[in-house]
Formats: sequence, structure tokens, C-alpha cells
Amino acid sequence: MLKPYTPALDMSDIQATVLRPRPSPYVGEYVVLRIDDAAQGREMLRRIIPHVAPADEWWVPSLPGWLGIAFTYQGLKALGLPQASLDSFPVEFRQGMAARAAILHDFGGNAPSNWEYPFGNSDMHVALAVYSDNEQHLGEILARAGQSHHDLAHVSVVYRMRFNELPGGRNPFGFRDGLHNPHVEGSVAEEDGFVPAASNASIKAGEFVMGYPDELGQTALAPIPGELRHNGTFVAFRKFHMDVAAFRKYLRAHASSPEEEELLAAKMVGRWRSGAPLVLAPDHDDPALGGDATRNNDFSYADDMKGLKCPFSAHTRRINPRDALKDDVVNVNLHKFLRRGTNYGSALPEGVLEDDGAERGGVFLLIGAHLQRQFEFVQSQWATDGNFISHGAEQDPLVGNNDGEGVFTIPKIPVRRRLHGLPCFVSVRGGEYCFMPGLRALQWLARLGDNAD
Amino acid sequence: MTTKVIENERTAMSQHITRQPDGPGKRIGKKGEISFLGKLAPGAAKVFRERLPQIQAEAGSWEDGVGTVVDFRATLIDNDTRMLVTIVYDGDFKPYLEDVLSKAGPWLDQVFGGFEGFKGVKDRKSVEELVANTHFECDLFYIANPDVTARDVAKMQRLSKAVGDLLDAAN
Ligand code: HEM
Repeated sequence: MLKPYTPALDMSDIQATVLRPRPSPYVGEYVVLRIDDAAQGREMLRRIIPHVAPADEWWVPSLPGWLGIAFTYQGLKALGLPQASLDSFPVEFRQGMAARAAILHDFGGNAPSNWEYPFGNSDMHVALAVYSDNEQHLGEILARAGQSHHDLAHVSVVYRMRFNELPGGRNPFGFRDGLHNPHVEGSVAEEDGFVPAASNASIKAGEFVMGYPDELGQTALAPIPGELRHNGTFVAFRKFHMDVAAFRKYLRAHASSPEEEELLAAKMVGRWRSGAPLVLAPDHDDPALGGDATRNNDFSYADDMKGLKCPFSAHTRRINPRDALKDDVVNVNLHKFLRRGTNYGSALPEGVLEDDGAERGGVFLLIGAHLQRQFEFVQSQWATDGNFISHGAEQDPLVGNNDGEGVFTIPKIPVRRRLHGLPCFVSVRGGEYCFMPGLRALQWLARLGDNAD
Repeated sequence: MTTKVIENERTAMSQHITRQPDGPGKRIGKKGEISFLGKLAPGAAKVFRERLPQIQAEAGSWEDGVGTVVDFRATLIDNDTRMLVTIVYDGDFKPYLEDVLSKAGPWLDQVFGGFEGFKGVKDRKSVEELVANTHFECDLFYIANPDVTARDVAKMQRLSKAVGDLLDAAN
């Protein structure tokens, strides 16, 4: 029996998607709605609210899964949110992700002009994320979601995308994923049995949910009014295609044995395929370590300040530097977000080096109260630049916008190894900034215009 | 009206100037620039002068902590009624603002403390207003070695010393 919670956070009001890991194995669907009539939009919202999962009920076994809901700026407008409130949202949210392309380095193949509809388009209003543990349950939740608008002519489905876990909880490149997330202060009671790794410090709740003090000691004052803001947060939604064949071919071409291919792959990611971190297992994969949730996040870069185990440029070290930048200006706690990713598509069969043309990849929900200093900072400073590690223009080997001329530096004694000619292993298929309100705020939104209509 | 550049052997060496992707200032390669010009509160210039030796003596330590500042100047002008601050730094401005304020806040307060209406870096609203009201972009910008950052220079110095030591040892 689970004992009742005594957390500082109002778990019954925060959406489960923000604070809870998805089930494993999982199946699910992202659905995007367009609202052409504010009253119908609010009716849809009223009907769907009972199915939106709060963070305190996520494990209730009677539920077939859960549903998360978020709104774009255009979506809030379509629901009839007053202009003063719309204007109080941060600029990046008001502009939308596509307009931020120059900051996010979404150039070339990743440019918004190459994105799938409705990303970067003003038709994207409401995003639903539905997670479940099996197909039957998924069908049940989707049916409920469908009933919320099936008779509303001015609420339309403009996008649907299925996703599912790949065997072994791996991503299409073959790495275990979803291993690390910052520990949100007050979000998990010890009764829940969760003990964060000693090296994974707690981050103030206000970094991830509005209504609580953040790492700067501030509590969000916008957007207004407080009823809308409280227990809400922002989501950077990014859909990526993963070119698994290109990744395998690159490894094959730059390594002289299967073992070396594995080492090179691990150097790019910062972890072995099993999830074992390079700093704890520098020479060989250690599946027992990778699979041990109490150990696979309990590490720091203090013993590897020369990058000999885990390169400075490895994906995980760039994007979550832990203590690696402790002598720098940067305050890493200001640049964290929660990661709720899911993969989609089938696995490219083992050993295949030619692309089969199939769509496969990952969708990332990068969640935090400060899009600019969290997602946008990490994407622009750590993923697509090399300045902060004195690597010139070198980008993240895995998720950087490398154009075939990418460089990847592996520190080594006596001389470093520098690889050239990295292509884009992942491409952006679309993305958008969304506001994910708390449950009471959803009710508040649904009641908008009650007097006016 | 802008006049056209007449191409010659000198213009062949012209530097490619862009603007900061998110925030004020010109940019060449990895170097950005920003300046601030604003009115000082009554008596502020006097306080600044008094504190200047200490501010100057600590500049190296604070700015080294930030690690991306190439060049920083503060000048009292117009009979001590206004102050001009010009900065050249590596990388982007806006994304790092929060980090710089957290790291070098006490020193920046000493430098910018006299600007009229400024309440100190702890008050982020006041920082926003200060930046909005006093910042400007230069008209002409040149920078040597635009692709080498302050950090790169430190690294090259270490490397150069190591090579020197190696050659000395070989002698
Ligand atoms: C298709 C693109 C991507 C791939 C294939 C990928 C892959 C991975 C893998 C394999 C890991 C290690 C296991 C884990 O903790 O999940 C990881 C960790 C991580 N990724 Fe990504 N990632 C991608 C995009 C992104 C993006 C866009 C961001 C954020 C801007 C991001 C942020 C992180 C963070 C914060 C970690 C945790 C690092 C740590 O363990 O300390 N990833 N990623």
C-alpha cells in the first residue's frame, strides 16, 4: 500500500506528463487539434478535463493510461483568452518555435520550411499526448478523447502520430533512453521509495512548475492571471527523424572492429548502449550497470576533467554537464528541463547499413518554466555550439545540425582523435512551444467567456 | 542613403559582420559587442571614483570567473553626468545574461550601480530596464582573430608553454 503523499508540490493539480515517467512498455499517440470556434473549443475542453491525469493519480491501476494536454499561443487565442493575458506570455512562446529558428540553429534540412504539417503553422492549437501500457487501453483513452469533440464541427483533428516503445526500451539508434531526469524538489515523497542518486541534486520546483520558487529564488509572475499560471509549465515539443543507417555507416567507416564501433558510438553519446555511463565504464559496456537505476545516474565528471573517459563533446556531457563546467560562468541549475521522450517507428533490423526509407525517430517533450534559459539555451549553446568547451564550431555529434562537415573531438593520450565529415544523424521533423496548464487552470480556461457567450 | 563599397585590395580583407541572434549588438565570428550609455544619479560619479581602485583591482578575478569577456571599459563622460560602458565578449549575450548576473553580480553592481534608476542586479526587472534604456550597438566594429575565444587563448597559452617546456627539455 502506498502511504499518502506529504509533498510540497500540489500533485493533484499538476499534469502527470510533467512529473511522471511514462509507463514501460508504452504505446501512445500525439494528437493535434485546431479550434475554429472558441465556444466549441471550450466545450471540448470541459469534456476532456476529467480524463487529464494529475501527477498524484498516475499509478492508479484502474486507469488505462493517461492523457496530457497543452496549448500553443494560437490555441489559447482560439479559445478566447483575453489579449492582456496572451500578451503576458514570454516572447518565445508567443512567437512559436518556428520563428526562433535562427536561435535554435534550425537551418538547412532542419528549417521550419521542411517541417511536417501542422508544425510551424498557425493551425496547431491543442496538443494531446496519450500514453498507455497496451493497445486496448490506448484505444479506450483515444475513444474518450475523440468523444470530447466528435460532434463539434469547429474542432478538428489536424495531426495524429502513433508511437511505441522499441524492444528493450532502446531508441532507434540502439541506446537505452529516458534514463536521466533532474530531481524536482518536493515532487516525490520518500514513501514512494524513490531515492535520487547522491550526485543528482534536487532542483527547485519553480524551474519546472510555476507557482513555486525557482533556482533564483523567484516565483513566476507571468503569464497572468495567477489562476491560469499556477501549476502550469511550458513544453518544447520536438519531433526528430533518426537516420540509423547513416549512423551505422559512419561507425563502420571510422572504426576497425565491431568493438571499436561500439566504443565510438558510446563516445558520441556519453553512455554505452546499455545506458552505462562512460565515466563509470570507460573501456567496455557494463550492462549490469546500465540496467541498475540506482547506479546508472550516480556519476560526476570530477574525475574526468580532461575528457579522457567521456569526451567534452559527447551528447550527454554537453547537454547535462553536471559538474563538468563548475569553474565556468554558467550556473547549470538554470539550464535543466524534464525530458519526456517517446520513440516512434520500427527498429532498423540489426546489421542493416542501407536506409529502408522508413520514418523512425523520437519525439521529445522538454518541459520547464523558462523556455529561454532552459531548452533554448541548451539547444543554442550546448548542442549546436562548441564555444563553452573551447571546441570552436563543433556541435553535438548526435543531435547537432551537422551538414556533412561536422567534427567530433575525442580526447586521448598522447594525441586526441578528431573525426571529420559528420552528417546530420537526426533531423527535425517539426516542433512547437506549448503551455501545459494545471488542472484547475484547465477548468478556468474552460469557463472563459461563460458570461460573454 | 548608404553608399556602395568600392571593391579593392583592402576590402578583400573585410570581415563578415552579423548581428547577435538573440539580443543586441554586432558580431564577427565568435565575438559580440555591446555598449551602454546612460545618465548617472547625482553624486554617483564621485562614489564610482572613490571605489574605482578596488573595482579595478578585482576586475581580473570577477571577469576571469565569467570567462568570456575579452575587453571591458567603463568611462565617466560629460562632466561626470553620464557613463559609457563598452564590452567585447565571446558568443551570445542574452542566453548568458542570467549566468553572468549570478556569477559576477556584486562586481557589476559596483560598475553599473550609479546609473540613474538602477536598483542592482538582484532586481532583474531593473536589469532589463537598464539594458533596454541604455544599450546601443556600435556603428563600426573590428576585431582581431574573431574566431578565437578568451578560453581558446588560455588553452593556446597552456599548449604553447607545454611545447616550450618540451623543447627546453629536449635541449
Ligand atoms: C534524436 C535526438 C536525440 C537522441 C537520439 C538522444 C539520445 C540520448 C541518449 C541515448 C541519452 C542517454 C540516455 C538517457 O538518459 O536518456 C540521452 C540523454 C540526454 N539527452 Fe538526448 N537525445 C536526443 C535529443 C535530445 C535533445 C534535443 C535534448 C535537449 C535539448 C536532449 C537532452 C538530453 C539530456 C538532458 C540527457 C541526459 C544526460 C545525462 O545522462 O546526464 N536530447 N539522449
